[in-house]
Amino acid sequence: MLTDLLTPETILFADRVDGWRDAVERVAQPLLDSGAVSSHYVAAMTDSIAAGGTYIDLGFGIALAHSRPENGVERTGLSSLRVGETVLLNDEPAHPIDLFFCLAATDPQSHLDTMMALATLLSDETLRAELLASSTPADTLAVLTKIGQNA
Amino acid sequence: MKFLAVCSSGLGSSFMVHMNIEKVLKEQGITGVDVDHADLGSVGPGAADVIFVGADLADSVGGLGDVVVLDSIIDLAELRTKVRETAIRKGVTVPDAGAN
Repeated sequence: MLTDLLTPETILFADRVDGWRDAVERVAQPLLDSGAVSSHYVAAMTDSIAAGGTYIDLGFGIALAHSRPENGVERTGLSSLRVGETVLLNDEPAHPIDLFFCLAATDPQSHLDTMMALATLLSDETLRAELLASSTPADTLAVLTKIGQNA
Repeated sequence: MKFLAVCSSGLGSSFMVHMNIEKVLKEQGITGVDVDHADLGSVGPGAADVIFVGADLADSVGGLGDVVVLDSIIDLAELRTKVRETAIRKGVTVPDAGAN
């Protein structure tokens, strides 16, 4: 269940952030605080993006920041950050982002359910719009409960 | 027939594309296609019949064979069209009434 990982503590909102690095650091902060990832993981994500890793831009203004398990994942985690002002990933105009997710995966199998739910959520046009329109953790959690209901 | 979704890490984006390809194949009633995902570094020529990647990796997979580039990896409408076209192009049987 996504609601096991996305909670009022890991669903974040910010009116504005200081560029894409700040956005990635902020979205990773709850995972850092809970010990799901080490600071090395955050650095690995930003380094990867700075090296041209804008593939984490999923489209529709949504980015899934992540790195490999060996780069500092202690346990599976997921967090989100909705930014009020659009952020350009790696300062590239081709990659405007409004909603960041941060995924920490210990290995591909352990987060299978999480990824399936996330893929279902983000690939659903209606749910995606509702997610982007959410302005509180309660709004976001309400959207999460709808995953798979109309699939 | 094997379709392989590829991204840099092999964990995030490619996993989503993998699952969405399976979803599209199922809803269109297309069978006989195996789907998997992998990271760019572990994929060599001949790893799959068709490789699906996001636009950012389009330039990195040139030597890997038949490549389909996705503008967005969570756009199911785009994926429906491209999976269907690819299946037909590769000679996979595609039910006529599949696109609902």
